[in-house]
Amino acid sequence: MHARILLSLLVLGGIALDLPAQRRRPPTGRPAPAAPDNQPAPPPAASLDRSKVKAWTLYKGADLHLGTGEVLRRGELLVGDDKIFAIGTGLDLPEGGKVIECAGRVISPGFVAVRALGLGQPSGNPGKAADGVNPFDPTIKMALAAGITSYGAIFEGGTASPDGRSAVLKLAFGDLKGMVLQEDSVLQMRVPLNPQQWQTLRDQVKKVQDHKKAVAEHAAKKDNTPAPKPPAGTEKLLRVIDREARLWIGAAGAYDNDAIREALEVARLLDVGVVLVEPLTAWSIPDEVAATGSMAIVNPRQVADPDPGRKDSTGSNLAQCRILSETGVAVAVTTPRGGFAGGPSIGTGGIMGQDLNTPHIDAAFAVRGGMDNREALRTLTLDAARILGAESRIGSLEVGKDADLLILDGDPLHYRTFVQIAVVNGKVVYEKDKEPFYSHIGR
Amino acid sequence: MNRTSLLAATALAALPLAAAAQERPVAIQNVRILTLEGAPIERGTVVLRGGKIEAVGREVTVPAGARIEDGKGGTVMPGLVSAWFRIEQAGPRTQELPGRGGRRGPRGPMPTPGPSATPVNLAASKAAASLYANQEVFADLLGLGVTTLGYAPSGQGFPGRGAVLNPAGRTAAALTVDDAAFVLVAPAANTRAKELLKGELDKAAKVLAARKAPPPASQPATAPGSQPAGAPASQPAAPAAPPAQAPQGRPGPAPAGTPGAPQGGSQPQPQKDPNVEVLADLLDGKARAFLEVGSANDLIHYLDAVGSVRFPTVVIAARGGGSEGRLDEVLDQVKELKAPVLLPTALPTAPFTRDLVNQARRLHDAGIEVGFHLGNSKEGVRQLFFRLMELVRCGLPAEAALRGVTLAPAKMLGLDRSLGSLKVGKDADLLLFSGDPLDPASRLVKVWHKGQEVKKDPTR
Repeated sequence: MHARILLSLLVLGGIALDLPAQRRRPPTGRPAPAAPDNQPAPPPAASLDRSKVKAWTLYKGADLHLGTGEVLRRGELLVGDDKIFAIGTGLDLPEGGKVIECAGRVISPGFVAVRALGLGQPSGNPGKAADGVNPFDPTIKMALAAGITSYGAIFEGGTASPDGRSAVLKLAFGDLKGMVLQEDSVLQMRVPLNPQQWQTLRDQVKKVQDHKKAVAEHAAKKDNTPAPKPPAGTEKLLRVIDREARLWIGAAGAYDNDAIREALEVARLLDVGVVLVEPLTAWSIPDEVAATGSMAIVNPRQVADPDPGRKDSTGSNLAQCRILSETGVAVAVTTPRGGFAGGPSIGTGGIMGQDLNTPHIDAAFAVRGGMDNREALRTLTLDAARILGAESRIGSLEVGKDADLLILDGDPLHYRTFVQIAVVNGKVVYEKDKEPFYSHIGR
Repeated sequence: MNRTSLLAATALAALPLAAAAQERPVAIQNVRILTLEGAPIERGTVVLRGGKIEAVGREVTVPAGARIEDGKGGTVMPGLVSAWFRIEQAGPRTQELPGRGGRRGPRGPMPTPGPSATPVNLAASKAAASLYANQEVFADLLGLGVTTLGYAPSGQGFPGRGAVLNPAGRTAAALTVDDAAFVLVAPAANTRAKELLKGELDKAAKVLAARKAPPPASQPATAPGSQPAGAPASQPAAPAAPPAQAPQGRPGPAPAGTPGAPQGGSQPQPQKDPNVEVLADLLDGKARAFLEVGSANDLIHYLDAVGSVRFPTVVIAARGGGSEGRLDEVLDQVKELKAPVLLPTALPTAPFTRDLVNQARRLHDAGIEVGFHLGNSKEGVRQLFFRLMELVRCGLPAEAALRGVTLAPAKMLGLDRSLGSLKVGKDADLLLFSGDPLDPASRLVKVWHKGQEVKKDPTR
């Protein structure tokens, strides 16, 4: 009797939420970030309808790395068609459902590559991305082997004002409709701007603000006149200001503190948090970045020497991810760039480790720089999804989100870990044993 | 003396050989006959007369006066049918392309639009109209056993109608058997092409509904209900849906909106777009479409664009699939189209491996009728039987391989009544091989085309 209670207590202890979940705490002595865009949007749990589900799957017995920084030991995950319906323990499996035993395995959300080339994205300009994607691209399977289940396809942009085309695509191999999550949720621009470009941008922002005022007045009047249209040329800026699209800001030259401050100035002008694309020295002014609610895409192992001609020049820092993250700046990890790097592409063409074939190892470098292991997983999952403006659908194992997950044979960021099974939209799209890439590696 | 011999020579030259052949039947004896309709006949006889097959079988009485052809234990099979043929060099083009002035355009040969061309609806235009007859390729192909050609236009969207060609012809008129054999549909993975496909088919559905609507004397108000019922049984359900609205929406408001209309009975006739009319025929089941897809990806983008609209279709897989997927990866969609598939003969490899994939076998095993491209040049056709041998070696039944270059493409062109197998009454197009056609050791000995022996190509 006693032994039984003891046993059940032990089990309960084992499966209880591993709550020292390393939530991000605001650092003491620093101003708390006044961050309008610093909280991820919640998943649309309301849209779940159990009665319409055709196929249920229960993943049982794995350690669930939720992607939010939390881990649920020996938990269960209930997937109905393409959505996550429940997470916990002792879940009921509806009749006719399938159980997948994952004891000894680890389940993680599918990795989100903020930027990638190839992987079925359209080449050239097909019009809408949805009309040009190629769900049979063989590099999709390779990316799935690397754990990537969705990515940002950035087609163009990077002028002096928010512009460009992009899409968030999922690696739903063979499924045309399942591939496109959303289009044009990322717009791009670059700094530095010259005085004339600054003036143009300010004028545009003024026009948008006037327009928004006019729309509000029109709505208050409640007559049947047509709503005012945004002034020509400001549609994309309006989407950024309305938080319908994320604005990514890159640097035309070195992304030093001057360029970073200029990008943050854009964020203040637009009153939205922006995404700094590989800001090399942001770690030296993290509070300024955090104060605007901005986020960053970095490669933790990017190495750059300080500029000896400048006093405040610092160069890169292996600890940049930890420093930014602790200050409240969400970070996504991307691939290295440089002479030998394949860039954000996948395949057998580049030097292994310099491309997207091993995103978890890039994130592991953030751990090497002092970041907590579970926080570092966020750089590939929830925070990467936020940087693409897609966090309501992907990036974590939460009720209501898309069932994009990986069954792994070890810790998600361990270098020896391989993806055993990748699931996108609830469907198995990659199995290590059945594909030619890593099936010869036994563990 | 001189004169008479000259006359005789001219007469001989001018006299079509057909006349002689028609009068004297040919009996091919001592051959194995692959009729492709039922089991092969060991050591049989084929009799040809008047360009047709008069008799096939083991116990065939040879007509009196017939020229006897000793097959020496070789194999006879039907002539090759190429359902998908394009000429690399199209020659002078008489069709107008959009954006180029017809008469003021350049006089010389114009380049045929490549796959990157703008998607257009030129469904009414005919590939045969731009056919340049004086090319060696026709005689070359005939010499290699290709007795019928399906000639396709090129471009994106609805680039035009294809033709059936007789490769023995020497002029464009003699080459062209049927100048409107099929409507080419060439989808592409981009928004413009997809919107064009959808938009033009929607227009065609409206035209079809207007055609089927009762004459304007009766009230159009009764039309919507009776419309789907009036459609033929083969008509898919989807095109019937938009028409239900059309009779009300179109002719209805028109008289009200135009008070100056001359008479109540005669409604203002909208100008007919011949291209849309052709597509309406297609939706009506009166024409067939050749759907040219490069890959599985093209096919699913096409299905995404047209939705549930269906019409008689032949799927042409123009490439092996490459990095955009093979058709055997979308078997369900291909099956759902209920269409035969014309494939390249090559054996592609699965991505990142050296594993050969026999997609012809996979489609055949799934119950889909499979045919093959023969190639556009003599170099391509020379390799044909070797490629087929490879497919058969990898598991495709030999009969299916041979049907795939004869009866299956003949069906795709709608010519299986007269072509594609050795059956009494069909055209006398046959090939005599020294052995099994798929055996690399056997040679193509003779070719008969419409009952005539084709002059041997010295390079063969």
